[in-house]
Amino acid sequence: MDAQLKRGVLDVCVLAALKNEDSYGYKIIKDVRPVLSLSESTLYTILKRLEDAKMISVWTKEFEGRLRKYYHITSKGIRRLEEFKEEWKELNSIYLYIVRGSRYE
Amino acid sequence: MNKREFLNELERNLRGLPKDDIEGRLSFYSEMIDDIVASGKTEEEAVLELGGIDNVLADIACDTPLKSLVKEKMRPRRKASGLLILILILGFPLWFPLLITAFVLCLVGCLLTWIFVIVAYSIEISFIVSSITCLAAFFMYLASGDNLIILVGLAILLAGVSILFLYVCKYITIFNAKLNKKILLGIKRGLIKGGNRNE
Repeated sequence: MDAQLKRGVLDVCVLAALKNEDSYGYKIIKDVRPVLSLSESTLYTILKRLEDAKMISVWTKEFEGRLRKYYHITSKGIRRLEEFKEEWKELNSIYLYIVRGSRYE
Repeated sequence: MNKREFLNELERNLRGLPKDDIEGRLSFYSEMIDDIVASGKTEEEAVLELGGIDNVLADIACDTPLKSLVKEKMRPRRKASGLLILILILGFPLWFPLLITAFVLCLVGCLLTWIFVIVAYSIEISFIVSSITCLAAFFMYLASGDNLIILVGLAILLAGVSILFLYVCKYITIFNAKLNKKILLGIKRGLIKGGNRNE
C-alpha cells in the first residue's frame, strides 16, 4: 500500500484496536497485523502520537510479576474514529467515481 | 541475542534521542519481549520476532523525522558560562570560516549525487538535438543530393540511441533517489546513535 495512505489509516487502526477494550502493545500488534503490516517501532511512534493528542490514555497494571502498559481510548479518540467513518464515506464516493469514470451525458 | 543483550545494544545505539524517548522505547521493547516469551517462546526467538537489533534500529531511524533529531542535537546541554561566551567571541575568526566550509561541503555533497542525473539528461538532450539536426540537414541537401543516405542513417541511428539512452537516464534517476534515501537514513542512524554525550 502507498506509504502516505498507510500512515493516514494506521492511527485509526490502532484506535480501533482499543475500541472494545483496553489493550497492550503486543496484543495491538497481533490485532492490527492481519489487516495492515506495522513494525513495533511504528506502533511505539503511533501510541506516543495518540497519547500526545490525548486520544488515548495509559495506565499500568501488574501482570505475572512485571508491569504492563495498557492503553485506553478517550472520548477524543472515539470522536476521531467517528470522524474517520465520515471521511471514509467521502473517500468511498471518490473510489466509486474512479472505478466508474465519467458519467456526464 | 537474549533480552538483556538486545536492550543493552538498543540503549547503546539510541543515545542521540531525547532521554524520555530512550526510556520509553526501552520499556516498550522490554514489555514486548516479555509478552512474546509469555506466549511460549524463548528470549532469543522473541528478539528474532522483533526483527533483530539491526532491523529494529533501522525501523526507529525510519520513523524518526530528521527535524526532531537535529533539534535534539542543538538543544543546549548546560547554561553557557561567561568564559564560554568570551571564548566563542574571541574564536569567531576561527570557527566562522570552519562553519561556512562545513556548510559548503554539505551542499556540494548534495549536489554531487545529482550531478550524474544532470549529466545523463544533458547527454540525452544532445542525442535528440543531433538527430533532429541530421534530419534538418537531410532536407537542406535534398536539392543537391549530397550525403543523403549518410544523413538519414545518422538521424535514425541517433534517434535510436536517444531512445535507448532514455532508459539509462531513468535508471540513473532511480539509483540516485535510492542513494539519497540511504544517505538520509545513514545520517539519521548516526544522529540517533549520538555517542559523545556529556551528561
